[in-house]
Amino acid sequence: MPADAAKAVLRAARAQGLRVVDEPAAKALLASFGVMTPAMRVVQSAAEIDGSVSMLRPPYVLKAVSPQIIHKSDVGAVRVGLRDARELAMALDEMRIALAAKALRVEHWLVEEMAPPGVECVIGGVIDAEFGPMVMAGLGGVFVEVMRDVSFRICPIERREALEMLGELRGAPLLRGTRGRPPVSLEALADALVRIGGEGGVLPSLAGELTEIDVNPLIVTGDRAIAVDVRIVLGAPASEGAP
Amino acid sequence: MGREQFTPMFEPAAIAVIGASANSVAAGNRYIRHLKAFGYAGRIFPVHPSAAEVEGLEAFPSVASVPVPIDYAYVAVAAPLVPDLLRSFAGRVRVAQVMSSGFGETSGGQALERELAQAARDAGVRVVGPNCLGVYCPRGRVTFTERTSNEPGTVGIVCQSGGLGIDIIRRGQNRGLRFSGLVTVGNCADVKPSELVEHFLDSADTSVIGLYLEGVGDGRGLFEVLRAARSRKPVVLLKGGRTAQGRRAAASHTGALAGSDEGWKALAAQTGTVPVDSLDSFLDALVALQCLQLQERPTQRVVLFGNGGGTSVLGTDALVRAGFDVSALDPGSIAALEALRLPAGSSVLNPIDVPAGALQQDEGRAAQRIMDILCSASGVDALVMHVNMTVVLSFRHIDMLGNLIDAALRTRNASPSRAHVVLVLRADGDADVEARRREYRQRAVGAGIPVYDELIAAANALSGVRHVEAYRVRIRAAST
Repeated sequence: MPADAAKAVLRAARAQGLRVVDEPAAKALLASFGVMTPAMRVVQSAAEIDGSVSMLRPPYVLKAVSPQIIHKSDVGAVRVGLRDARELAMALDEMRIALAAKALRVEHWLVEEMAPPGVECVIGGVIDAEFGPMVMAGLGGVFVEVMRDVSFRICPIERREALEMLGELRGAPLLRGTRGRPPVSLEALADALVRIGGEGGVLPSLAGELTEIDVNPLIVTGDRAIAVDVRIVLGAPASEGAP
Repeated sequence: MGREQFTPMFEPAAIAVIGASANSVAAGNRYIRHLKAFGYAGRIFPVHPSAAEVEGLEAFPSVASVPVPIDYAYVAVAAPLVPDLLRSFAGRVRVAQVMSSGFGETSGGQALERELAQAARDAGVRVVGPNCLGVYCPRGRVTFTERTSNEPGTVGIVCQSGGLGIDIIRRGQNRGLRFSGLVTVGNCADVKPSELVEHFLDSADTSVIGLYLEGVGDGRGLFEVLRAARSRKPVVLLKGGRTAQGRRAAASHTGALAGSDEGWKALAAQTGTVPVDSLDSFLDALVALQCLQLQERPTQRVVLFGNGGGTSVLGTDALVRAGFDVSALDPGSIAALEALRLPAGSSVLNPIDVPAGALQQDEGRAAQRIMDILCSASGVDALVMHVNMTVVLSFRHIDMLGNLIDAALRTRNASPSRAHVVLVLRADGDADVEARRREYRQRAVGAGIPVYDELIAAANALSGVRHVEAYRVRIRAAST
């Protein structure tokens, strides 16, 4: 039962006083609902890297996990394209020193397989005061940030509605392939939307426990959609102690 | 709870009025006078603590002392008296409507509103309001205002504003709308808009539903009712107050992107509800949906036909901007139109622009022939006919406009494809022309041809029709 386990994770995070679930836990939660996430390992120090990455396929991504860091790339808390354990260890040491200099406390380190290139998309969720859980789809980067090119639906959504959301985006031609670029898998993208916003999905199941979710970016390729970064904002502690 | 629970409010056999005065004219007195003037045939029981008679009717000291069960209680007493009054309705009243204000809409009134809702539950009485104006139902001969049509129709309205409810009835009836019922719901302390939508969805008298809502925390309930209805009746929604409110400071990207409008836009897409943003566009859409038979495929190809070159150009722009296809007719239809030998200055490609005089040729049969060709042209989903009344009415010896409307009706009835036929009557503001337009509008809308003042209104109303048609196609395709 992913919903019960996920609720336990969110309640535990809230009991620790967290407002945002850390990235490894958020990704594990999403994966339990069937959303594809990169293979990952959590390490405490550079010394653990050798033993941890042998099961992961390069190139790697290294991220610092810290409740103090919201936009990782803004503070240099993410490095991509690392080729082996040696580069990972070096990057970790550099990052540790740089973040310490900014007085940012790092709880642990996340090593992931780097997602293949694709179109950067966004899936989001909010708990609306009037309608309850709502799911959002959009194209990543400038499309979502500047153009606000997004589409919302009230949960739970059906697969047909997920495809309609994508069709509404002004940037939809980028998904279908344009200017020599191959099309991405709309099916995989719709599938991720349904696993997050559909019946029994993340948002309908956890509406009482979380207030917002951002999957940004979700990298969509010709055959899959991979949640590369996930942010889950917890609900107010009012529901705490409820059965 | 049975879905018939609200029928007594629309067609009551016995009404209690609480808040009518024995010696002055209070809201309850005006209500009784409206009922009498409207020809209400049931029994009215004024409830008054001391008077023996109110408005010439025998008065009773309490609802409990009224000799028959009450279908509908009209309550217009001071707000603090309302909860206890509702408790006295237990077992005596089926539906009560509280007009009184001074509840949740005022600062400090929230507690009293909660008490009202609790009293309603305690008494087992469904309560509409508070802070509203009443119910209008021509079939039940009940009304809460004057100058309302007694002709029953098929449009059911749930309106959160009382004043706007009067606008919808009065302006709507002048546009040709005829109502199965209109209920003003105010603060919705007990009965929620979604419950009244369910009533209209189930009522055999209603075929189109219009909603004016401002937001009552019932969005989810409304969404679920509308989604389950699978668009079996078209619904038009005018949503007021579409600005952000009550939303927590956004803690994430998605939160910042989710304005409070997004939910209402999503509801329109997910339920086939037609979203509109003004009272006039609300009425325009309702007129179209009252008149037109929805098509199996979404309205896409439109033929524009009328007199006036500039209007044809602007009308084409309006239709194309609304997403319609106003491309040229098929060669066979063009040839058929050319064979009619229309006068110089006519254009037969689409838009079809024909001088007024030519329409009247051959004892008025020319317009009929043109419309027959247009409506049987392959792939035509809608015919929009526009008439410059100033020009057409200058042909004084004949009723050219009447003939055009008759021709449009014959064409529509004979059209194998049942293409939508829409009429635009363009006037100049002169009183006599406006009076004629009014007369022709009632005649055409009464016969099932929606009438608009301008092409842009027609284009927007047709896009509402297309919204419902397209939704039905989508859900049908997904379920097969």
